Amino acid sequence: MPKWLVVAKNEYRIHTSRIRKIRPYFPYLVVGLLAVYVAFIAPSFASLFIDDLLALLLSYAALGLVQIILFTIFIYFMIIPITQTLREVQTEQLEIFLAAPIKPSDVLLGEFMGEMPFYAIMVTVVAGFFTAVLNPLGLDFVQMAIIVAIFVVTFLSAFWIGNVIAALLRTKFGGTARGRDIGRALALVIALPLVALVYGFQFGGIFEALSDPSASGTAKLILSLLPSSWGAEVIVGFASNPGNIGAVGFETLTRFGGLVGFFLAVLWLGARAANRAYSLEPTTFTASRAKPDGVFYNTVKYLGGGRSFGTLLVSVFKDYSRRLENLSKIAYIVGLIVMMNVFILGPQLSEELGTIMPLFMIQFMFPILAVFVAGDVTLRGKESLFIYKKTPYGVGRFVKARLIQGWLVVVPVAMGVTALSTIVSAQTNLISLLTNIGLGVLIAAAETAFVLGLFLVMPVFSEKSLRFMLNILIVIFVSIGLFLGSLFSLMAILPELERDLGFLYVLLLQTALSWIVGIVFLSLGSRNLSRIE
Amino acid sequence: MKVVIRTDKLSKYYGKGGEIKAVDGLDLEVYEGETFGLLGPNGAGKTTTVRLLNCIIKPTSGTATVNGYHILKEEMEVKRVTGLLAESPGLYEKLSAREFLEFMGALYDVPGDILPERIDDLLKLFELYDRRDHLLEGYSRGMKQKILIAAALIHDPPILFLDEPTSMLDPRAALMVKDLIKGLTDRAGKTIFICSHILPIVEELCDRIGIINQGRLIALGTVHEIIAQTKTKTLEEAFIASTGGVEEKELLAWREQRTARA
Repeated sequence: MPKWLVVAKNEYRIHTSRIRKIRPYFPYLVVGLLAVYVAFIAPSFASLFIDDLLALLLSYAALGLVQIILFTIFIYFMIIPITQTLREVQTEQLEIFLAAPIKPSDVLLGEFMGEMPFYAIMVTVVAGFFTAVLNPLGLDFVQMAIIVAIFVVTFLSAFWIGNVIAALLRTKFGGTARGRDIGRALALVIALPLVALVYGFQFGGIFEALSDPSASGTAKLILSLLPSSWGAEVIVGFASNPGNIGAVGFETLTRFGGLVGFFLAVLWLGARAANRAYSLEPTTFTASRAKPDGVFYNTVKYLGGGRSFGTLLVSVFKDYSRRLENLSKIAYIVGLIVMMNVFILGPQLSEELGTIMPLFMIQFMFPILAVFVAGDVTLRGKESLFIYKKTPYGVGRFVKARLIQGWLVVVPVAMGVTALSTIVSAQTNLISLLTNIGLGVLIAAAETAFVLGLFLVMPVFSEKSLRFMLNILIVIFVSIGLFLGSLFSLMAILPELERDLGFLYVLLLQTALSWIVGIVFLSLGSRNLSRIE
Repeated sequence: MKVVIRTDKLSKYYGKGGEIKAVDGLDLEVYEGETFGLLGPNGAGKTTTVRLLNCIIKPTSGTATVNGYHILKEEMEVKRVTGLLAESPGLYEKLSAREFLEFMGALYDVPGDILPERIDDLLKLFELYDRRDHLLEGYSRGMKQKILIAAALIHDPPILFLDEPTSMLDPRAALMVKDLIKGLTDRAGKTIFICSHILPIVEELCDRIGIINQGRLIALGTVHEIIAQTKTKTLEEAFIASTGGVEEKELLAWREQRTARA
């Protein structure tokens, strides 16, 4: 058996370990389900909008639209292996490969091929939808086969590039604790450009600019140069000339040929990079050093009353802030809110709905912010909690320290993003600014207490666990529930209330309820922590 | 006696200008069929030496041969003739013991008609046969260590590198590994290269030992020769004398300030 196949088989087994009992039938099951999807589900789904979709595919906007879709999916598929690797950078298993008689290129190819079946599922879903849309145009078999091949080649290129980058980053970051921390930090913020791209296409007018035949611009030129766009030109060409491949023969040959050439080139380059991608040579020998406490930590200690609790608070804060992963989560939330302001919110919305509207919108990001800051309370494992359980009054002091540390992070962030969102809206005055900031901070602080309490009531020891996701869902639903509860209660009690004042009352009631829920959960969590064994 | 491992000024430096000397000019010979122990404090260069000899990392200067194969020119051959139990190895926790050993066997080209039987034999030897289909994530640390030793043996290599082989094992399992190591050298003629902190194990198992400190080999010979060289009575004393230790009077120095204040 070739060595890459050994690695691929191992990779496949690892990915299917959760479904070991049905592993022998899994391929048949997947192929069967995909066949049903391609034959029935995708055409039925596409038929709901088929007239609009076909009109779009035959319009001037078609090329820009397909280019954007393929480019976005290309980037998304490329990022998947990178974020997966960065989230949990592990190099321990590299030693197994490096000690064995196997070439690094075989390891890289094997790891890629082992994940291929799962990539193929995604490609089939996307390609299946496109072929279902194009089928009514009367494309011949060769045209359909080329379109499927375009999807396969384009997305496999993206996956392969993503895999090579992921392997290189694993070697770069995996050797040290600091590197692993950087990796986890990058795993999150790496998605921000993609979000910006989607927002830009959806709300930023980029799509309109690209689909305008009279417009010529740099974005249009750059997009046309990307490999993902070459396939788009062929697809749109076929849509305009169904059953007549000769009419776009030259374009098909050059664009599709270029795409295949690109795939072969990245395969070759990736194999060449493999030697660098699998190495246990340390990339750095610089250990992170703690500097003496400066003004900031001295202030934190002072805020904690100085003495031993102040020291405890500073220690908890240092453990939080020295993890780049935590800082990247804050950057991610701030980035998302900035993009909401740039693309979705803005003066027009506030003009229509009042100056409190920005807070109405961004407050739904506060639960996520609170989860990012306080949701890791038990993630370091039971042993780290036992340190506090062992010390006199340790549990109470720990919960208090984590709450203050959470507020010290959440409050300034909530204050900043609320101020930003209010200032960029129209009709802002000092009163509305202060009102929004005050309410925003109060809601975010209450949600931090709630999240801390919840994660102590239902402790999670791994980010991968279902319970972690369940807790996040609970946080989101509770915060939305409190908002809707406040809204409907006030609508029932004061139906004649003026709109702007009504919004304010809703937020005031929501704030009060959030604090009640936060305090209740915090006390429950504190009690539960004393009982954790 | 045939030399199966020979290092020639083998060195591995890290950092700017190579200021960190993980292994520094190591000259060493290990003979066929012997059990050789490399002792040294934490960070002395033991694991780096093992990694160099297994072609996992490349030397900064110097070279070595393993079973006659050059570590820089004949990497694949070196890897084939060695088995490695790494210090902190990565297991595929989502595989069962049987699946993991199948994978390791395939990596080392163990023929398909031999592999299943060998896996069963090794699992029985390590008393894990009944749990062969359990995922490794559910194994205790000692059980994982047994699986890793089995993985190092799966291709029946003539030379075995064992980095801290008994550190995670209970006394019973440690005794079994010791007996296994003795059997592998006495009856199967294997050459074993052990790195360990546990001096009694090294003393009991190894024909010769080397003591390494700050990348340099500072003592080499049989246990008796090393004790004689350092003019001490036990291997422990010889080890401390060679590598340095904390003076007895320093042990409680941290209390003195408080006592003085009181």
